[in-house]
Amino acid sequence: MSDEPLTENLGFWPQHRFLILVGSSVILSLILVVVSMQLYTSSGAAQLDLSRPGYRSVSSQALKSDNTFQQYDDTGAINQASIDQFKALYAKQVQNVKAIDAFGGDPMNPDALEISAASDTSQP
Amino acid sequence: MKILFRFGLLVGLFGVVLAIAQFAPAHAQQQPPMSDAQIIRIRTSCVSALNTLNQLHASDALLRVNRGQLYESLSTKLMQRFNTRAVRANFAVTDLQSITMNYGHTLDTFRLDYQAYEEQLSAALKVDCSKQPVEFYTAVDLARTKRTKVHTDVQQLDQYVDDYETAITAFEQRYQQAAQGVNPS
Repeated sequence: MSDEPLTENLGFWPQHRFLILVGSSVILSLILVVVSMQLYTSSGAAQLDLSRPGYRSVSSQALKSDNTFQQYDDTGAINQASIDQFKALYAKQVQNVKAIDAFGGDPMNPDALEISAASDTSQP
Repeated sequence: MKILFRFGLLVGLFGVVLAIAQFAPAHAQQQPPMSDAQIIRIRTSCVSALNTLNQLHASDALLRVNRGQLYESLSTKLMQRFNTRAVRANFAVTDLQSITMNYGHTLDTFRLDYQAYEEQLSAALKVDCSKQPVEFYTAVDLARTKRTKVHTDVQQLDQYVDDYETAITAFEQRYQQAAQGVNPS
């Protein structure tokens, strides 16, 4: 029996297998994080995530669920009663849609932000 | 093989140079002529403008979430379900289906346009307006244009909502005529 350590007989890869395992796990997890972050930003999910810093002030005002939105039954006969029921449900939601002029106005107008040349007196 | 690789690399490089050459003059033209006084004005109003934009950023995000849910539900919980029920009952509802389809496409456009607007506004907020006032102004102006596009999408969606309501009234009339045994044509 030789007194030499067993590891000396092994090649580079088997000798460093634990280090390689840890290193490759770290690299793989980094790749997965980059891919998931890319998906998070490119899919538009980031725009809907109100838990991000800067949105905390408004996150409590987000609709948690639309349970109040009653859905129309897609089975059953079409008759005057079912049409009236649909019209009532639809009118209720249309009222919500029309309640505000979403993204209207011009809050980014340079005049409103006071970055316009409006009060620029240096011009002839 | 090596020559082919080099040729490919050259073609790629040429493409990149061409793309930059195309983009650069257009981008330069978009820069508004800005006087020193305006630059000073931007620097002076910088902090208050950033505060306003930060508030707008948050309130628009909330609006996007809530309106997005509403628009989505209107389609999936009402329009599509009524269309399905009518088709199952053998009614011709091509007009309703067409409006629903166009509404869905516009909703997709709204999502994409809002994403582009939000990204641009975020980019504008990252610009150091005291050190780069011209870049800040340009970025805000671009975000403003993209917000206008989002508003146009919302108006288009509202129009489809109205169109669907009108089409439902027309469908009701057709149904009533059919129920009374009158030929709608």
